[in-house]
Amino acid sequence: MIKITNLEKFYRTEEVETIALNKLSIEIATGEFVAIMGPSGCGKSTLLNILGMLDDPDAGSYVFNDIEVAHFTERKRADLRKHNIGFVFQSFNLIDELTVFENVELPLIYTGVAASERVKRVEEVLDKMQIMHRRNHYPQQLSGGQQQRVAIARAVVNKPKLILADEPTGNLDSSNGNDVMELLTDLNEQGTTIIMVTHSEHDARYSHRIIRLLDGQSVMENIMV
Amino acid sequence: MIKNYIRTAWRNLVNQKFYSAINIIGLTIGLAVGMLILLWVQDEFSFDRFNAKASQIYKVNASIGSGVSKQVWGNAPAPVATFALKEVPGVVNAVRVITNMDYSVFAYKDKLLKEDYGKLSLIDNAFFKIFDYKLLKGDENNPFPNDQSVIITESTAKRYFGNADPMGKTITGDNKDPFVVSGVLADFPANSSINADMLFSVNLRKKQYVNNPYWKSMDDDWGNYYTQTFLQVRPDASVKAIGEKLTQIHFKHQQGIKPTDGIFILQPLTQTHLYNADGSSAGIQVVKVFSIVAVLILLIACINYVNLSTARSMLRAKEVSVRKIIGAERKHLFTQFILETVLCFLIALILAFTLIFAIMPLYNSIAGKQMHFDLFDTRVWQVVAITVLTTLVASSIYPALLLSSFKPINALKGKISGTGNGTFRKVLVVSQFAFSIGLIIGTIIINKQLNYIQQKQLGYDRAYVFGLQMHGMESHYEAIKADLLSRPEIKGVTTSDGSIVSSGSTTSDTDWDGKDSKMSFLIHPYDIDKDFITVFKIKLLSGSNFTASKSDSAHWILNETAVRLAGIKNPIGKRFKFHDTNGTIIGVVKDFHFASLKQAIEPAIFSYRTSTWQMFVKTTGKDAPAAIKTVQRFWQQYNANFPYEYKFLDDDFNELYRSEQHTATLFNVFAGIAIFISCLGLFGLATYTAQVRIKEIGIRKVLGASVANITTMLSKDFLVLVVVAIVIASPVAWYAMNKWLQDYAYRTELHWWILAIAGSAAILIAFITVSFQAIKAALANPVKSLRSE
Repeated sequence: MIKITNLEKFYRTEEVETIALNKLSIEIATGEFVAIMGPSGCGKSTLLNILGMLDDPDAGSYVFNDIEVAHFTERKRADLRKHNIGFVFQSFNLIDELTVFENVELPLIYTGVAASERVKRVEEVLDKMQIMHRRNHYPQQLSGGQQQRVAIARAVVNKPKLILADEPTGNLDSSNGNDVMELLTDLNEQGTTIIMVTHSEHDARYSHRIIRLLDGQSVMENIMV
Repeated sequence: MIKNYIRTAWRNLVNQKFYSAINIIGLTIGLAVGMLILLWVQDEFSFDRFNAKASQIYKVNASIGSGVSKQVWGNAPAPVATFALKEVPGVVNAVRVITNMDYSVFAYKDKLLKEDYGKLSLIDNAFFKIFDYKLLKGDENNPFPNDQSVIITESTAKRYFGNADPMGKTITGDNKDPFVVSGVLADFPANSSINADMLFSVNLRKKQYVNNPYWKSMDDDWGNYYTQTFLQVRPDASVKAIGEKLTQIHFKHQQGIKPTDGIFILQPLTQTHLYNADGSSAGIQVVKVFSIVAVLILLIACINYVNLSTARSMLRAKEVSVRKIIGAERKHLFTQFILETVLCFLIALILAFTLIFAIMPLYNSIAGKQMHFDLFDTRVWQVVAITVLTTLVASSIYPALLLSSFKPINALKGKISGTGNGTFRKVLVVSQFAFSIGLIIGTIIINKQLNYIQQKQLGYDRAYVFGLQMHGMESHYEAIKADLLSRPEIKGVTTSDGSIVSSGSTTSDTDWDGKDSKMSFLIHPYDIDKDFITVFKIKLLSGSNFTASKSDSAHWILNETAVRLAGIKNPIGKRFKFHDTNGTIIGVVKDFHFASLKQAIEPAIFSYRTSTWQMFVKTTGKDAPAAIKTVQRFWQQYNANFPYEYKFLDDDFNELYRSEQHTATLFNVFAGIAIFISCLGLFGLATYTAQVRIKEIGIRKVLGASVANITTMLSKDFLVLVVVAIVIASPVAWYAMNKWLQDYAYRTELHWWILAIAGSAAILIAFITVSFQAIKAALANPVKSLRSE
């Protein structure tokens, strides 16, 4: 599904140039659950942003579903993104002014799904995330675990092929964290590819494969059994 | 999708009550004031355009004299209309409108009503063919069945006859002449330059030429400029050619006149309201100034909105990123933010409508108009649409472009570049304050000029003098005067046929030894008695006053300007011919202002009469009521059938400057509003800045900064902007106000302290606005702000 080759990304300020990704090459197959680990500043988030087409690389190639996307325009990337990729963040990133239902509905609105179909799909996914009873609440009225479930619901409502999760349990206690990991595992078992950045060895154990980064390079891969 | 946008917009509005309130209040006031001003401008431009043939109607003006003594009169001689119709190609129709000065009161049964001067007009029958004034009753083709017919307006009919049918009823003018009502006219629209309560046949005037020794008939009288003459011309006719042809006809018919004695110029009807006969501003300048003020106030309100929404865009960055990440395209976000502005505007618009309805009566009284804010009127919607759409576009596009342009990943990390639009915001704040400061400077100078007018030594003393028409008292003037002067409450009595406050008439019928035959010399004539100069305390520079002796009938007193322009050296005792009397100059008075200070002093000549049609009585502030009563007793004795009416010269004087007073009042209000809206925006920005810098403030406090340090730090940035605004606004306002003052022949001086006052006021107001938030931020507990990070 994903093949990146010699990917490079630099951050420049007036005086310093920092290398975030240094000729990184990774391949991820459809249906995989991959964890990306490494110390702060090793390039995990940069990698995730490029994989999520939120950022573009300075050099190298990024092939997504057999399409080279490294030099796509923002508009093309956005179009590809909204139909194929769901995001889950450490800080949930729900929109405070929208209710649970409306937050989950939003991706469907932007992809132009009809209103009746939207209600059906949002209810379905809320049900699956066991958050249906909170559908009319606002994010601030929910616990962290509940908020992350809403965020996952929003990430999957469009039935993406790939979910990118950036420390999805980072703001949660261990019990809520485990619930979230179970949810991701379920999704993966139903066929969704998942790439997760994490600091937690515990969470990483849910994945099939761990890619360890250091200074923008892949230093080790662990295959989980 | 739209529903989702509106929902988000609404919740944003409700969640951010403080900023929403600032935005909506600013927009409401801006929109309301902007629309009120534009309604006024629209009303000014609408004058006389209700006439379907407005574009084909011209008024004949006469340009007399040349050089310094050139004058353009709005009146023409009576024959112009007659000959224009008979001999000038391109003229389709002609009508004269002449003020009927023969009557002042009318009686119906036991009702005796005073009619306003100038509201009685003599007209040609073509009046109803050219103009669209609506005859509700009567016959347009034969409006006056005979010369004793009168057409009255609806409200005049109400005054005399109540609800009874006025047709065929008889009213009696000045207790002697009966007139039969032959028509009822809808009241003249408020935006009509022509306005009257009663219309009479022009034949009344024609009859007065019978037995006239000098002019055989009205159509021979080329020497008196007393008719407003309107011509309807063919759409393809050359207006200039018509004027020239009329001038030629004049030369042909009046012997011994030369080109400087007058040429005719046609002025479009639609311009008569805003331009004087000579093409100078009669209001167009105020209209222009107010249009600019309206635009400035709307701009200030827009700037508030743009500033606050872009400043707060940081707070929206997360939402924008999330939306983009989950699939929103730029156009979605753009639409969303535009819709948010639209929502804000809708609320502001509804509030603005309410505000306009509430203050319309007050506004009408300040503006001296009768405008209606009627939402069923398409003209109102023109103003609303123009105002709202332009301000909406101006305030929505930039914030929407900015917000929708955020790169999702940067915005999510709070890494949006603040510097670029920070500069833009500064530019906006500077412009906003530059506008406000400009308006403050304008206000100070306008008020200073009006004060100057009020306090200027006019060269005569009008204090506690009231004037009245004498009617039946005229023939008993000497006796009445002697009686009045014997009473302690009356300090002086005099008579004059003209108003010392504003002289209306001029004549060129003069001659003296050494007069250049090509010279055109116009002079204001006053017939006065021997006490006029002393009662009004006009200074006699040389020679002597009238003494009421027989020889005074051939004595003249001139003002300085007359002597100077005529070029007469040692004038006392010199020959001077005035009309057909060859006489002698016996005195020269110091110049005094007998017209608005907009005009330079012109030549004036006094001739002696034992009495004229009006009387002036001088009293004191304390004795005024007693003096008015005393005069009333004489009035009742001689004028039993006329209502007693008198007027203090102070009121006449104030009327000269009434439009200036209106302008000044409105300008004060507008400048106040501009600065208020600007401060509202500044207050919002200061609040926001204090919020954004809360961590910095906390750290500084922990490191030992005092409240004063922090207040200064936060206020300084804003005050620098206000100072820049002062630097920009001052020269521009200075230049503009200098131009405005050029309208006045006599004007106040501009001093540097005006700029200093305006600048200090702006700084002080801005400082109070900003420091409130700065002090609040500085007083906050640093532990709290640091922990919240």
